[in-house]
Amino acid sequence: MAINSIIFNLKKIRHFYGDKKVLEIDDLEIEKGSITGLIGPNGSGKSTLLKLLAFAEQPTFGKIFYKGQKGLPFSHLVRSKVTLLTQKPYLLKRTVFDNIVYGLKIRKDTAELEKKVKKALENVGLDYALFSQRKWHELSGGEAQRVAMAARLILKPEVLLLDEPTASVDTESAKLIRKASLKAREKWGTTLVVASHDLQWLYSITDKQLSLFEGHIFSAGMENIITGPFENMDSNNSESKGVKKVIKKLSDGQIIILTAPHNKENKAVIRKSNILLNLEKSKDNNFTNQLSGHISSLLLEKKQSNIIATIIVNDFSFVLTLSADQISSLSLYPGKDVVIEFDHNDVEWV
Amino acid sequence: MDFIVAGFVKAIELLISGDNSTWTAVWATLKVSTCSMLLSVGAGLPCGFLIGYFDFKGKKHLRTILDTLLALPTVFIGLAVYAFISYQGPLGELGLLFTLTGIAIGQTILAFPIVTAITASIIENIDQDLKLTLVSLGAGKRNIIATCLWEVRFGILTAAVTAYGRVLTEVGISMMVGGNIKYSTRTITTAIALETNKGQFADGIALGVVLITIAFIVNLSLSFLRRQ
Repeated sequence: MAINSIIFNLKKIRHFYGDKKVLEIDDLEIEKGSITGLIGPNGSGKSTLLKLLAFAEQPTFGKIFYKGQKGLPFSHLVRSKVTLLTQKPYLLKRTVFDNIVYGLKIRKDTAELEKKVKKALENVGLDYALFSQRKWHELSGGEAQRVAMAARLILKPEVLLLDEPTASVDTESAKLIRKASLKAREKWGTTLVVASHDLQWLYSITDKQLSLFEGHIFSAGMENIITGPFENMDSNNSESKGVKKVIKKLSDGQIIILTAPHNKENKAVIRKSNILLNLEKSKDNNFTNQLSGHISSLLLEKKQSNIIATIIVNDFSFVLTLSADQISSLSLYPGKDVVIEFDHNDVEWV
Repeated sequence: MDFIVAGFVKAIELLISGDNSTWTAVWATLKVSTCSMLLSVGAGLPCGFLIGYFDFKGKKHLRTILDTLLALPTVFIGLAVYAFISYQGPLGELGLLFTLTGIAIGQTILAFPIVTAITASIIENIDQDLKLTLVSLGAGKRNIIATCLWEVRFGILTAAVTAYGRVLTEVGISMMVGGNIKYSTRTITTAIALETNKGQFADGIALGVVLITIAFIVNLSLSFLRRQ
């Protein structure tokens, strides 16, 4: 990848809130003009990562390079070029028009404001005549979110960071916000980084997915995390063969066997590339773990033409990547009973 | 009961007839209260912003001291200011004792913690997303400060009005530092105290009515501004 095609480069980032480490990223690159999806449960570090990328906060340790140069909050390198839209954006206590032109006025770009506001409102499906003079408190949640989006789009940003932008808005607003963000990329080559729980949308638009869990990032997208507590496996057990193993008992009686961690880590990561899917358990393979479950969803990963399958095994949800051929040959569909297989050695502890 | 009714009637007469001593006290009050309110806002606003916006060591203790100062008795401030500006005091040469300027200094000391504490609380309670939004829209540090203050403008107005109400109605400082000199440093509150002591309830009630009217107009203006 050419250096000039990288817009963000994060090096050895460690970010703390008080004593709590909330983000740990050794190396992360985001390509210019790409759409990157951030996936992860609440509290996994998605919003913190977006705030760091927006240069609204400085990482406690480590550096963020923007277009090859070290980016700092308020530096000219990033001001007005990187913008963030949060789930509940703050609208200034003024009219819609004044909210939208705020960023332009800051950078003293005051030519043809009316025309620009008209265009920005049009992009998010709001009528200029109806909305431009409305006050901040005269808008519904969806309208407020669209106004906030327009305030960012009017800046023609190089990077648009979206933190759950459609989580608390109506369907129509969500559709228009999604459309507007994609249009920004198409028209101005804006780089998009999107955090969303709407996996179907995320997988359908993103070039790359990054998965976060407790501040750790997995660059191959969503991975499988098994949280403790784990029990030590009986060392006399013939299956352990001298290698220390731990087990996780599921409430339906199934057992997950994993190689024990070296230190005190208590979260096991099973890469989705290490999981195979079958229709029934077989005795003639070497996998330590064969778990019965059912398919809960199949999502098309548009850019790679793969399908992300989510399998529910008792209380746990596992994801794995399947090809369209596999789906077809195994006649897979949501609700179908399947078996997932992986080896106890294919575990990483965090 | 009759003397109260008579007092109200006399009050209206005094105000309509433009009684010199009454109106001098009214103007002195307005002048000195407005001046001390403006001074306390000028000093208290930036201090309150700094305390509310930034986190620093000892902030909690500073807030405790500030909150304690809210209950500072006016006679104590009067005493302290008197000690400083009396002819034997360190600022005696300035000749501020028994002047409206002297009262304004005392009232500024009274109003300063009110403006500072209220501003600090308002700034502390600013929506955390505001700063994030402003940074996202390309605001610099100065833009952030200016916009934050503009966003809480009604809160700051409330702080100013609260301070105004406090200085408008205080009597201790005006009495001790001003000396209650007729046609000079007599304010509405000191005049009420004097007239009541003399048994001139009508004069006292007249001045009381004026005081309440001023407070009402100030609050009405604030409500009007909020609606705007």
